[in-house]
Amino acid sequence: MSGRHIYTDMKRREFLKRLFAFTALPAIVSMPSACNDRGSNNKHIKGGIAGANHKTGHLLRNTQHLPAPSETKDVNILIIGGGISGLSARRWLGMHGVDDVLMIEMDSKTGGNSVYGENSITAYPWAAHYLPVPDVQNKELIEFLQSCGVITGYSNGLPVYNDYHLCHDPEERLLIKGYWQEGLVPNFGVPDTEKAQIADFFRHVEEMKLAKGKDNKYAFAIPVDASSADETYRKLDAITFETYLHQQGYNALHLLWYLEYCCKDDYGANLRQTSAWAGLHYFAARKGTAANATGADVLTWPEGNGFLMKALRGNDVGNIITNTLAYKVSIEDNNRIAVYCYDAEKKQSTVVRAQKVIMCTPQYINKHLLQVDNAERDGIYDIASYAPWVVANVTVQHIPEGKGAVLSWDNVVYGRESVGYVRANHQLLKASAQQVITYYLPVVDTNTTAARSKVHNKDYEYWKQYIMGDLEYAHPGITAYVSNIDICVWGHGMIMPSPGYIWSDERRVAQQPIDDKIYFAHTDLSGISIFEEGFYQGIRSAQQIINSL
Amino acid sequence: MDKPGVAEKILQQRQRILLFSVFVIATCGLIYELIAGTLASYLLGDSVTQFSTIIGTYLFSMGIGSWLSKYVDDNLLKWFIRIEILVGIVGGCSSPLLFLLFEHIASFRLVLYALVSITGILVGLEIPILMRILKKSVSFKDLVSQVFTFDYIGALLASIIFPLLLVPYFGLMRTSLFFGILNIGVAAFLLYQFQETVRYRKLYISIIMGSIVVLLVGFVYAERIMSYTETLAFQDNVIYSKSTPYQRIVLTKNRRELKLFLNGNLQFSSADEYRYHEALVHPGLQALPHAKSVLILGGGDGLAAREVLKYSNIERITLVDLDPAMTSIFKKNEMLLALNKRSLLSPKVTIINSDAFNWVRANKQLYDFVIIDFPDPSNYSIGKLYSTRFYEELHHLLTDDAIVAIQSTSPLIAKKSYWCINHTLAATGFITLPYHVYVPSFGEWGYVMGMKKYNWKHTDNLPSGLRFVNVTSMKNMFLFPPDMDEVQTDVNRLNNQVLVNYFEDEWAPYIH
Ligand SMILES: Cc1cc2nc3c(=O)[nH]c(=O)nc-3n(C[C@H](O)[C@H](O)[C@H](O)COP(=O)(O)OP(=O)(O)OC[C@H]3O[C@@H](n4cnc5c(N)ncnc54)[C@H](O)[C@@H]3O)c2cc1C
Repeated sequence: MSGRHIYTDMKRREFLKRLFAFTALPAIVSMPSACNDRGSNNKHIKGGIAGANHKTGHLLRNTQHLPAPSETKDVNILIIGGGISGLSARRWLGMHGVDDVLMIEMDSKTGGNSVYGENSITAYPWAAHYLPVPDVQNKELIEFLQSCGVITGYSNGLPVYNDYHLCHDPEERLLIKGYWQEGLVPNFGVPDTEKAQIADFFRHVEEMKLAKGKDNKYAFAIPVDASSADETYRKLDAITFETYLHQQGYNALHLLWYLEYCCKDDYGANLRQTSAWAGLHYFAARKGTAANATGADVLTWPEGNGFLMKALRGNDVGNIITNTLAYKVSIEDNNRIAVYCYDAEKKQSTVVRAQKVIMCTPQYINKHLLQVDNAERDGIYDIASYAPWVVANVTVQHIPEGKGAVLSWDNVVYGRESVGYVRANHQLLKASAQQVITYYLPVVDTNTTAARSKVHNKDYEYWKQYIMGDLEYAHPGITAYVSNIDICVWGHGMIMPSPGYIWSDERRVAQQPIDDKIYFAHTDLSGISIFEEGFYQGIRSAQQIINSL
Repeated sequence: MDKPGVAEKILQQRQRILLFSVFVIATCGLIYELIAGTLASYLLGDSVTQFSTIIGTYLFSMGIGSWLSKYVDDNLLKWFIRIEILVGIVGGCSSPLLFLLFEHIASFRLVLYALVSITGILVGLEIPILMRILKKSVSFKDLVSQVFTFDYIGALLASIIFPLLLVPYFGLMRTSLFFGILNIGVAAFLLYQFQETVRYRKLYISIIMGSIVVLLVGFVYAERIMSYTETLAFQDNVIYSKSTPYQRIVLTKNRRELKLFLNGNLQFSSADEYRYHEALVHPGLQALPHAKSVLILGGGDGLAAREVLKYSNIERITLVDLDPAMTSIFKKNEMLLALNKRSLLSPKVTIINSDAFNWVRANKQLYDFVIIDFPDPSNYSIGKLYSTRFYEELHHLLTDDAIVAIQSTSPLIAKKSYWCINHTLAATGFITLPYHVYVPSFGEWGYVMGMKKYNWKHTDNLPSGLRFVNVTSMKNMFLFPPDMDEVQTDVNRLNNQVLVNYFEDEWAPYIH
């Protein structure tokens, strides 16, 4: 700590230090017992499991128990699912003058994996929370960001990003060997040979960033569908990232930890569950440039990608029906699509008859919903596997800090199962002792079904205990300051880009419309679950409809 | 020599016990007096006046006590025990009470003198009653000689240990609580030693236990009331300290000056703050003879406002300070009111306790002159208040001719930090005018003025009575010798916060 005129009153510091041993004693003796039996003394922490989302979703397993439809409704275009993909499709249709569009969403609000919550301190994300500064080549995305004030103008031909939306410094820190270092790439106490290997890996991905295939397309691009078809690169999708790293001679422990952390953070998968292509894509596809930022910078908001979600949706929500689950999609004799919907509030069913439908729902849902004969689609669902996630929003009055860098936006602990926590109120610019931190735990297990039943079977107390244990590890004594933990369990959090998925026939087929009537848009269809892909999926499907009219 | 009989032995023992009590109560009595005197000079300043009026009041009250002693007739021992308990409670709690009340009440002096009087009266009662108890067994000449001998020895002891041991190692608060416990201890001891107290022993024991518990709790938690370590961290006496949700406010005082620290960083010293505040306000405001409305961001001490109020053309001052605790103490405390000339009580001043960043973003009013007096950019949450984004937001608060004056740390010690602030301001379209002054407590200190169009000029439109700024001293402020010359720096943005890093690097050598 320093400031105006430090030099006169610090003389006594030395004395004070010696004295501290004595004066600190009563403080230690009277410390709350929370410190002694870590984590177990957390009765004062309130909260619960938020979101009835998956409960509504589970109704799909036994649709015969749902009431028979008592009403019918006709629309031109029905969008099923109000996540990023659905909202992006809706926006694109709206921008191109397509009328009579209706959206249904099973949750009580739109957003899907980009939903957010709010308390007296701040808004906070329930899942997606940031967008890296995008490539200027991604024209639609750049235009969208300009329309919602994320890009405020141009300077020397490059976008100028809104200062309030670019992640503020200090951005990232990593707790390693008892010390909070700046940045997430391990450095503190890492042997020089390992550091050399880390530097080498980053040189490698820099090359990959610029690599182009024979078709003159980038080897790794966003959206993934814009990537080169060149086999040199695509064949990397067949092997695991782990195998690839091994083949390339990368074996430094800290590098491997970091790369696995990245896969967990973006894909919910470990090195063995991620294809080499996807593993490299994480680094090599980020080609963002800006006048006042770099491709390594990110855009973030207190409500996370909820900000972008609201911007995509707009204020006019008259044609969005929430709390409504689609439970069956079929083609009627008159060539219309019949979508059976269940209103979870009114507890009644309706049939919506539409000219065209966009299914902006995940593949595991589509498998239950779609009741259409289509030989080509047989078996396409089986190759999708999902990473379960547990996300917690923790309200804390004070964070006991250790040595090193101060509380940052993203705070990660080396060698833990969780991928750390993000400070939700980071962008608020308001001085506040209270914080809301959003904690992320991908439940990684080679057997994803087992992992999923694990996340669903554990109760609130279990997760609370687990999360507090993890936070205590990083910040001993924090339990006493935590007042609230709300938890959200995402059983099918995100699609995993496991080997063979991204460039599979199944994924290609899954994107194909059926009979120019049923269209598909979802990040599952990209194989990489990020905002840009959802945004693209929505536009792609909406454009297909526009072209067919 | 005759061997004393049993009865005589008992008498002698009683005598010794009582004389020992004289010694203890004399020590306690003087300690209370010293505490009151010290506290008064800490908290109210001007130690000679404070000390002599406190001692005067105390002695006079003792006189009242002595006079009152003649109305005490029956059961002298019981009275004596009663008084000991009362002295223990009142004297023991006096210093914590005064520290606690200091920030809350305007008529602090009244409480101080009331407490001194009550303690004095009670102490004044002690010796006469004791002498009357002893009178039964000792001849008058022995009585006077012995009682006064012990009284003065006690006083000597008190006057030696008070400055050498108690204040430095115990602090005022614990000293007073400790001697309160001693006083009550005397009562307990007498109760235990003297058989005739048996009838009321039970009741008194419980009263004694209760008061000792209260004092002990105070003793243990004195740290909370005012951090013990903190008292030692500062060279001077800490007269006020408070942890608010935003910062730790500490006021210290010595014979010459009063200092304000926020989170351990000196904000001003009463000895030379006039240099700092005159330089912050006058170079800018003298150039704006038509200015009517002024915005002060930070500056909850009211010292910048004091300087602004010297211009009769100023009609409104809006002061935005994060911490209500700051503005409140500078509106209430007499010593601080004397320093800021009651500026925060002026009808022209509107105080808003809010986070400056968000307030500036949301505010719609226009100002002719803006003073930015934030703490140094020593951490990220203050660093953002020196960012391009913040300065861009300022634009919409300014009239076309407006000038902004920003305190900008030391251009000598923190050259890069200083010029970084200048460059950051310039990067947002302001024309900047850097200047500096020498403030003994801070060293060379820097400011930057910013304006939308160049309209700064030298005038002699300075208010009278300034101690530092005049036409000549103002001219010198704009000259930067080579050791403070402009250096190249990055611009401080929310997403790089380079200023905090410069600042840490540059000040680090001065911390240890
Ligand atoms: C923990 C976690 C963290 C993430 N963090 C980030 C991040 O920081 N940045 C990032 O870019 N991405 C992140 N993501 C990825 C995120 O999934 C995408 O960014 C994006 O939100 C996906 O949108 P979507 O529309 O494709 O899918 P979804 O969000 O799955 O949308 C599908 C929608 O359909 C609804 N629905 C499903 N079934 C039915 C039905 N039968 N009837 C009606 N409605 C139905 C759902 O309720 C949902 O609203 C994260 C994901 C998770 C799980």
